[in-house]
Amino acid sequence: MITEHLTDDELDRLLAGEGLPAGRATHVGECLPCRRRRDEVVAAIAGAMGEDPDEAARARVRAAALERWGEGETRRFPWRWAAAAAVLLLAVLLPAVGPRLVERPSFDAEAVLIEVDEVLARDPLAAVASEDMVATLVGEAAESEQGGRS
Amino acid sequence: MATVARGEPGVEREDDRELIESARAGDSGAAEELLLRHELTVWRACRHLLPVEEDLPAAVQETFYRALKNLTHYSGEGKFSSWLVAIAVNYCRDRLRRRRLVPFMALEARDDDDPDPIAVIPSREPDPERVAMARQAAQWVGREVRALPERQREVFTLRFFAGLELEHIAEALGVDVGTVKTHLHRAVHRVRRAVSEARP
Repeated sequence: MITEHLTDDELDRLLAGEGLPAGRATHVGECLPCRRRRDEVVAAIAGAMGEDPDEAARARVRAAALERWGEGETRRFPWRWAAAAAVLLLAVLLPAVGPRLVERPSFDAEAVLIEVDEVLARDPLAAVASEDMVATLVGEAAESEQGGRS
Repeated sequence: MATVARGEPGVEREDDRELIESARAGDSGAAEELLLRHELTVWRACRHLLPVEEDLPAAVQETFYRALKNLTHYSGEGKFSSWLVAIAVNYCRDRLRRRRLVPFMALEARDDDDPDPIAVIPSREPDPERVAMARQAAQWVGREVRALPERQREVFTLRFFAGLELEHIAEALGVDVGTVKTHLHRAVHRVRRAVSEARP
């Protein structure tokens, strides 16, 4: 059993939390003078720490920091407020405007096709082009055909 | 999970990350809870890293504000408390540089301000002589700590006053654990000698 008291260096290492060899750590546990030396320093350090501020002082500091931070957030992200306002406006207006945006004139393809058939039955060329256009096109075609032959 | 007093140094909770995410999204309630959890660490660190002439509440407030403002820069790799303390240490260093007070010399004033520095020392024997000796030892420790070289004072303060583990001190100061141990050993040596000299 090691009975020698802790050296100053060992005590420093113990206080610094570096740990001691098993035998020396055991000695500290069993040796009252060594424990007193250690506890004396620990108590002096604890005494030097002083008291913490009371809750009211701490709350004031927290509130001030949060307020400054809140102001900064608003400045840094003005688009957040703009986006929120836009969403709100949309929520209010959508019920009134929405149906109009969604409703479209109905388109009945079958009816259109029936109408086209009727027109074509009456006058097959009327549905393609007017008489003048047909005459012009037919005339030009005839002329070019004749010119090509001569 | 063991319940720990709110704001006690060294406390790190798994759900800090949740609060950090909420605070980043602008949730002031989450931000306040985050500050509550770690505020004593910051108060104690600033208290012992700044000279008494400095406005301690202003230092803590500035640390909190900078932390919240830069929350998006917290990577999440180290402990949040280490990151927060790093902000506090940088602020204190900056204040000291501005005032050219390294090492600062106003030693007695803080002792006068303290209501009773010995009050926190548990004592079963209210022997006036012992109390006087303990009070003197505490004053000598305070004086010695403030006279330490800057890095030794930082390490000692974060270990014994702010209650950080060695690896978290290393994170906060941006050095390796071996460097922290070296500074701490030297600081403890000087403080322990001061306590010995306070004895009759």
